[in-house]
Amino acid sequence: MTFSDWLRADRLPHIFCAGCGNGTVINCTLNAVDQAGLEKEETVFVSGIGCSSRAPGYIVTDSLHTTHGRALAFATGIKMANPALSVVVFTGDGDLAAIGGNHFIHACRRNIDLTVVCMNNMIYGMTGGQGSPTTPRMALSTTTPYGSAEPAFDLCELAIAAGANYVSRWTSYHVKELTRAILAGLRTPGLSFIEAMVQCPTNFGRRNRYRQPLDQVEYFKTHGMLVEKVRRLQEEGQEIPPETIVLGELARRNRPAMGVKT
Amino acid sequence: MKLVIDEKRCKGCNLCTMVCPYKIYKPGKKPNERGIVVPELDRPERCPNCRLQALYGRTLCGMCQMICPDQAISWVEEKPGEKKKVAIEF
Repeated sequence: MTFSDWLRADRLPHIFCAGCGNGTVINCTLNAVDQAGLEKEETVFVSGIGCSSRAPGYIVTDSLHTTHGRALAFATGIKMANPALSVVVFTGDGDLAAIGGNHFIHACRRNIDLTVVCMNNMIYGMTGGQGSPTTPRMALSTTTPYGSAEPAFDLCELAIAAGANYVSRWTSYHVKELTRAILAGLRTPGLSFIEAMVQCPTNFGRRNRYRQPLDQVEYFKTHGMLVEKVRRLQEEGQEIPPETIVLGELARRNRPAMGVKT
Repeated sequence: MKLVIDEKRCKGCNLCTMVCPYKIYKPGKKPNERGIVVPELDRPERCPNCRLQALYGRTLCGMCQMICPDQAISWVEEKPGEKKKVAIEF
């Protein structure tokens, strides 16, 4: 079986723009789910509202397309009602960090056995490019036409601080590593949070000098730095280049978890 | 096995041209009937998956298939009797 067996072929092509990274993250997630050997009847995909949350509609398993930001709350309910199910949550940055911020930190605190895949495109893509909590400083969007003045959220640090068991960050360029991270997340009991940085050529790239999808993927390729190297540079007292995206497995620990399959 | 791009799914983002280590994908020139410039294949028989997928029983590199946001790239079985091209690289 390959990951393409998990897709609803009659629903494709999907509505994502040309070059949108969400499709890549769907591929990686399905590949990881396939490699983990999960059954289609025992897997549930949950999502909220947004571009990224269209994803479960293209997957053959049972899925829930829920209200804005409440994907984790619904997923908690599923997991508590039937711990035998494997629950994967697709969510975007606006869904997870802005509207569902409180659900996110409390899901991390409770450490429920979910796998949360956050497709962070650094903007509200579906509604026309408004600035989100993860829009980087000085990035342009329709609500920040002179550059975002606020510091951005670091979702991985937030998940670590709130107590998630497995946290890692990759981009849509690092497909093999992202697959491996999601597989590790599926196998780890407790909440696994995988942040996938994705390109948004239509709303983020167009305003921020990445007019082609390739430009932003090239940016991920050149500015990504492994967390081991970042820690080594910090120990040596060297300066980390600005705009670096810290990649890799940021946390793995064994806190007591809720709703683990027995 | 044969490398194919599904023209019904491809949206012409050219991400495959960036990741292929063999540079098999070239940006296309002509739009198809849907108005999308689908990448062209430059000697796809060089792809290791075409030759060795059946032998190893798994997908070998598969970067293009994984990064394709539109799930347009796949390998299909050749029909019996179909002419095969063999590329030799020096």
